[in-house]
Amino acid sequence: MPGVIAAFRELDAAVDAIEALKKEKLGEITVYTPTPRHEIEHAIDAGPSPVRRFTLFGGLFGATCGYWIAVWISDYWPLVVGGKPIASWVPYTIFGFEVMVLFGALSTVLGLFINSRVPRLTMTVGYDPRFSGGDYGVWVECAPERAAAAESLLRSHGAVEVHGER
Amino acid sequence: MATMAKPLNERDIPRRPNIATADVQLPAVKDYEQVDREITGTLHPTAAWFIGLGVAIFFLVVGAGAWTYQIYSGLGVAGYNPPVMWGVYIITFVFWVGIGHAGTLISAILYLFRAGFRTTIYRCAEAMTVFAVMTAGLFPILHLGRPWKFFWRIPYPNWRYIWPQFKSPLVWDVFAILTYLTVSATFLYVGLIPDIAVLRDREKNPVRRRIFGALSLGWRNSDREWRHFARAYLFLAAFSTPLVLSVHSVVSFDFAMALTPGWHTTIFPPYFVAGAIYSGIGMVFTIIIPLRKWFGLKHYVTINHLDAAAKLCLFTSLVVGCAYMNEWFVAWYSGSEFEKAFFANRIWGQWWWASVILYTCNMVLPLSLFRQSWRRNPTWLFILSFFINLGMWFERFVIVVPSLSHEFEPWQWTGYTPTWVDFAILAGSFGWFSMWFLLFIKQLPVIALTEVKEIIPPKLRRRHDLGIDSSGSHLEFESATPGEFD
Repeated sequence: MPGVIAAFRELDAAVDAIEALKKEKLGEITVYTPTPRHEIEHAIDAGPSPVRRFTLFGGLFGATCGYWIAVWISDYWPLVVGGKPIASWVPYTIFGFEVMVLFGALSTVLGLFINSRVPRLTMTVGYDPRFSGGDYGVWVECAPERAAAAESLLRSHGAVEVHGER
Repeated sequence: MATMAKPLNERDIPRRPNIATADVQLPAVKDYEQVDREITGTLHPTAAWFIGLGVAIFFLVVGAGAWTYQIYSGLGVAGYNPPVMWGVYIITFVFWVGIGHAGTLISAILYLFRAGFRTTIYRCAEAMTVFAVMTAGLFPILHLGRPWKFFWRIPYPNWRYIWPQFKSPLVWDVFAILTYLTVSATFLYVGLIPDIAVLRDREKNPVRRRIFGALSLGWRNSDREWRHFARAYLFLAAFSTPLVLSVHSVVSFDFAMALTPGWHTTIFPPYFVAGAIYSGIGMVFTIIIPLRKWFGLKHYVTINHLDAAAKLCLFTSLVVGCAYMNEWFVAWYSGSEFEKAFFANRIWGQWWWASVILYTCNMVLPLSLFRQSWRRNPTWLFILSFFINLGMWFERFVIVVPSLSHEFEPWQWTGYTPTWVDFAILAGSFGWFSMWFLLFIKQLPVIALTEVKEIIPPKLRRRHDLGIDSSGSHLEFESATPGEFD
């Protein structure tokens, strides 16, 4: 999908441009920012991240696995000590906890990768190395006939460089 | 009743106000470009770095040679003297696991508490954690007579149809340490991804650029990526926080689950965790104070950062000191003759010298940090850090050796003298740790680029008139206070 990319030097200029683009409904917006900023997050207003669900299910699965490994193995290879249970849940809580943390953390990272769509082999159209340095980039995905309006709006809000990409 | 407060005179006014740990700022860092330029500028290897790496590899080779000799000759060359069958290897294992704790404390727990001073020191501490746990993980294997069979501790289907004993603290240890190594390495890598993207974008060499491109996974700093990153990072911190507390608790169970005098006590988990954090902060000082000087990063790791970390060090030393006193009290209050005799032997008996080193380094010297001028003196903090490392190694010595050498049966009472093999492997562990750390600091940024950018004011067209940033970052900073940057 073609679109327009604009580079901003100042944070407030980028925020103003995002708000104006949303108001004009010119197209889907992607913002490149060297560091996460609440101002941009509020302007984009994308809603909560679904990564938390990966964390929850990974943690629950891990806790289940941790207990299950210890209980199943104790049952399979019982070490009988007089008066003591074969599978004792108290010490097995250590395995439940450790495996919960392990699976929960790894599934959180998996959630990050899936939702952020990384790893990616090629850079997205419009990305510029300076967006990891000090500048902010605003990419608007729009049809060619609306590109002129988008370019004009971005320049009027202080973009130092604007050009179309496809 | 009203109190009669004496009015402050000129001399009573503190020389410098206390800086809240959450408000530590970087007044000499002006913009994002400066951050990238100065921190990535530390990545070029120098002659001193090559010399340091050579020394580290030399010690590693010495340690590896000693281990080879031990495998060839048997564990008898390691100074074990029955019933003292845990010696330098287990002491050093606990020591390195403890060192690994401060990294996660600084990167995860202080992140959740929004302690601002962590920002510029956490990357170093986190890398230190991963390498320290990698070092610690070697010692239980070194301690085995047949180290090639270490994987028998891991539950996997096998032709022998046997499985580990899940009620044994040694198996708990395997799970705890492996989980900790995996999660702390993951936490370090996830935090590095945006910084590696910065390196990728600034790199001119095509081969290195491709390597950084692969390691950064095609990260491009989009709002979508940052949104999920922030959430994932928060959850990783939330998982790491109880994990760090659990790992050293589990290590303490190796001792506390036994009936041996001096070990069988319920205060061990919090006592071990506080000691681990204390020793880890000591190692952070050992590493970060020379680094900030050699890399010219005194305006990133300021005296205020060191001051805040020193307060944490002081607090943990007080907790550890309280645990020591509690141990004496429990021994006295238990009414157990064995426990009382053991503690008497520990303090006035054959191991008095080790106890003196321990209590001096861990309880007495850190009290100097009550004085602000000492907390803000990097030279003293650096010297103190060596005493902390020494004291914490001896803490584990005092836990392991005196207990085993003075158990229930008087005919078993004995001594313990480490051999050259023990010391060579101990030196080798420092070589192994230093080698990884030195390689790390010249390949990847020692200070988190994107997190530092978060705490410095962004470029704005207007100042405050829209109120778009309520974080306080835009306030005019005072000019550099004398002594701020050393």
